[in-house]
Amino acid sequence: MTGYKRVSGDAVEYEVFARKTRVEPLHQVGSVVAPDADLAMAYARATYDEERWCEMAIVRKEDVIHLWQPGEA
Amino acid sequence: MSLSDLVLSIADNKQMLGLRYAEWATRAPSLEADIAAAAMGLDDLGHSRVLYGCLEPLGADPRGPDRESDAASLRNLAYFDEPWTEWSQFVAANAVLDTAFTAMIEACVGGSVEVLQHRLRKMLMEERYHFLHGRSWLRSGIEPGPLERAWQEAIEWFGPPDGETAALHREGKISMGPGELRADLEKKLDVKPSRQSIDWQRWDPVRRRGTPGAIDPHTFGMLRGLEEKKYAPSSAAKQTTG
Repeated sequence: MTGYKRVSGDAVEYEVFARKTRVEPLHQVGSVVAPDADLAMAYARATYDEERWCEMAIVRKEDVIHLWQPGEA
Repeated sequence: MSLSDLVLSIADNKQMLGLRYAEWATRAPSLEADIAAAAMGLDDLGHSRVLYGCLEPLGADPRGPDRESDAASLRNLAYFDEPWTEWSQFVAANAVLDTAFTAMIEACVGGSVEVLQHRLRKMLMEERYHFLHGRSWLRSGIEPGPLERAWQEAIEWFGPPDGETAALHREGKISMGPGELRADLEKKLDVKPSRQSIDWQRWDPVRRRGTPGAIDPHTFGMLRGLEEKKYAPSSAAKQTTG
């Protein structure tokens, strides 16, 4: 595999959100690591498509703005 | 060549693409890529089943008994004859060939044949993620050899400019002919292949490929269910354990 850019090189972590029905809110179902959003979408769909989600979305983990974290409340 | 022949070619190629993808389900460069290989493999095997199911409603099933004994009767591209040994081969197939098959499915969905319009539409939604996966890996850079081969075979598979695929387009049965299919593929991947020299005189219009050959014996045996028998207990062993 030498010569190929492994995802660990430019790794970006994306959180994956989904919901099964319109009446429930999106909730986090997991995460994927990928070098770009296109690949992250393909990975999220492949990894978390076991259930019949009506919506799935990904967010770059670094774009999440924390108000506080565990131990800070 | 009829529309059934074209649909059988898509089905055979998707079946082989799915099997070759699945072979990489524990060999890809990351866990995510492993899972994607497995998922895309399942998708394409499922698509091939749907496509085989369209042959009867189309009215003429071109599959003959030779498919049970002659691997060369399957209509897969030469690219799938042997298991891939390099990740570059996976990526080139994923980006170029899978997208070429999708372009042809779009042409079928956009054509005038009702059974194809209805049954093939869902594939396009699933193929979106194959495309994103292939294009992203392609942009990260791969060896030129497999890429050039995939382009060559994709253009050959679309068929000659004045052949029967073009005739199906003129009749309205598919919405794109060879030229439009090639332009669509280049636009989607945002690249133009290096100059391809195709000898249409040597091109096989049934198998839609320019070279002879067939899938490896292990894969052909597996498709026929023969490999399964190797692992079944013998009748004597069954009696002992029973």
